Amino acid sequence: MTTSLVQRVKSKMSIFAHRKARGMLDGEYGSVFKGRSLDFEDLRAYVPGDEVRDIDWKATARHGSPLIRRYVAVRRQTLLLVTDTGRNMAATAADGEDKKDIAVMALGVLGYLALRHRDVVGLVAGDSTGSRSLPAKGGEAHLERLLREVDAHAGLSAPPSELRVQLEHVARNYRQRMLLFVVADEFLPDAGLEALLRRLRAQHEILWLTIRDANLGQAGEPYDVADSRVLMSHLAGSEAVSRAYGVAVAERTAARAGMFRRLGIAEVAAGSSHEVVPAIFSLLERHRHGR
Amino acid sequence: MELIFWWVLPAALVMAGAAVWWGLRQYKAGNARRRPVAHGDRLTALPEYQAAVRRYRRWLLVMAVAAGLLVTACTVAAARPAERSNVRPEQHNRDIVLCLDASGSMSSADSAVVETFGRLAQEFDGERIGLTIFDSTAVQVFPLTDDYEYVAEQLKEARRAFDGESEAAGFLDGTWGGEGSSLIGDGLASCVRSFPKTDGEPGAVQHQSSQQRSRSIILATDNYLSGNPIFTLDEAGALALESGVRIYALNPGDYDFGGDPGQPGAQLRSVAEKTNGGYYVLDDPDAVAGIIHSVQATEASRFQGSPRAVVADQAEVPLAIALLSGLVLAGASWRLKP
Repeated sequence: MTTSLVQRVKSKMSIFAHRKARGMLDGEYGSVFKGRSLDFEDLRAYVPGDEVRDIDWKATARHGSPLIRRYVAVRRQTLLLVTDTGRNMAATAADGEDKKDIAVMALGVLGYLALRHRDVVGLVAGDSTGSRSLPAKGGEAHLERLLREVDAHAGLSAPPSELRVQLEHVARNYRQRMLLFVVADEFLPDAGLEALLRRLRAQHEILWLTIRDANLGQAGEPYDVADSRVLMSHLAGSEAVSRAYGVAVAERTAARAGMFRRLGIAEVAAGSSHEVVPAIFSLLERHRHGR
Repeated sequence: MELIFWWVLPAALVMAGAAVWWGLRQYKAGNARRRPVAHGDRLTALPEYQAAVRRYRRWLLVMAVAAGLLVTACTVAAARPAERSNVRPEQHNRDIVLCLDASGSMSSADSAVVETFGRLAQEFDGERIGLTIFDSTAVQVFPLTDDYEYVAEQLKEARRAFDGESEAAGFLDGTWGGEGSSLIGDGLASCVRSFPKTDGEPGAVQHQSSQQRSRSIILATDNYLSGNPIFTLDEAGALALESGVRIYALNPGDYDFGGDPGQPGAQLRSVAEKTNGGYYVLDDPDAVAGIIHSVQATEASRFQGSPRAVVADQAEVPLAIALLSGLVLAGASWRLKP
């Protein structure tokens, strides 16, 4: 029996906690939704990352250290994990890991944060042939199921990737306001996708994590998962090709970044599973400051 | 053209097939070792990359063609293409003595004979040639020799003498000291004696090469005898027969009339034919060259070795192709080195 995926996520998060207070992540996640409830419950100590406007200044003045207002009956939010489980996800990421593993880690970290806030977590995943959706529920066992779903379907024998199919599925089938966490790769954005995202952005909060794809300029004769064609990376070593490649990749990244900026969607990139927790932290941070 | 090891070809074909099959299998299984990556169009869509791939493909094609040629050429060479032929090796072991009647009536024929042999001597390789001139006495100008330079020089000198040039007249000195003139029997006997002795004769020197050498005398004379020779023509002919010398007689002045065997031309003919030689009537000195060529050919064909089957490997062309394609292959692989 392999170790549970949630367990792996938790251990990764605890490593991160050595460097930054884990509460910070919680605080960052907690402030993703504004105005959650007005039913005051009690006060708790401020942890970095909490929304400054939640600080009860009077109580703080009395107490001597910052205190945060807590509210009862916080409405359960829904975190919807959206990812691609097509063939692209079985490919190699920038630092040599499978992109799938990084995706599972990222989904797990945010899913786990949501569970700790007693939110429910759902999943929409799939490929160009269609999407599967798993209903939003709480509990680590459910999160484990979601992660296994992603882990099991993203393989080299999976159909080709097409993130638009998953995003359309979300747009079609979910009426309520949710937090969407999209994990994708270095796709090339187009106007249709941008319009679709604009439509989703109007309804939901969107967090976006990009998994950086392998650098094709390196030697090692990789093959393209899309058509099994061997890429002649040794040719990319020549000066003209590597310069053109650098320019093309920069343009592609700029096109994606431009789209996210126009849509006001917070986006970060991660090239390995070690980068996932810091990336999500800065993603939440950026999302908070983003507007 | 045939292949000695023809079975190399099917064997090579089978091996090439196996190699191609194995290579294809390796290539197909190759993706298991390779890194899968997504969005390969980041690289493949670049025109620079496409140009590089085209260039690479071109060199790869050159390399494949060169390798194919190299293998094919080497296989063909390994199968030993050979030409099988029957050869009668010509032997250059003839001894020829020019026996020229130096009397005045003969000078134009002598000149033609000398000139022809001057030219022939340039192509000789192993043949020996000697020159004896006679009138009333015989003078051996030079004995049998293969020093062709000297021969050519002497023959040139002889020709000038026969052509009547005054400063070369000394060449004929010593030919008319005896009694009479045109003592043909004596002259011919001198010529016969200028061959080395054969083993059967007394005083013969055991000489390895002289045994198998063909002997012939080109005798240019009109057979008009005046005086008393020591040897008659018939005796000299018998001497020649005994020594195994064939006489080819050239007669520029055969004025025989009727079938009388006592006439000079008929006598000469009978002597020449007794020695298995030949008799040629010379109507025109220009015909000498043709006659001598035919004599040479007869002599050459008489002394040819037994026919032998010769198998000559002809691997030059495939090996040259292999060398060229090997060079191209080396160049292309140098060009393609990653």
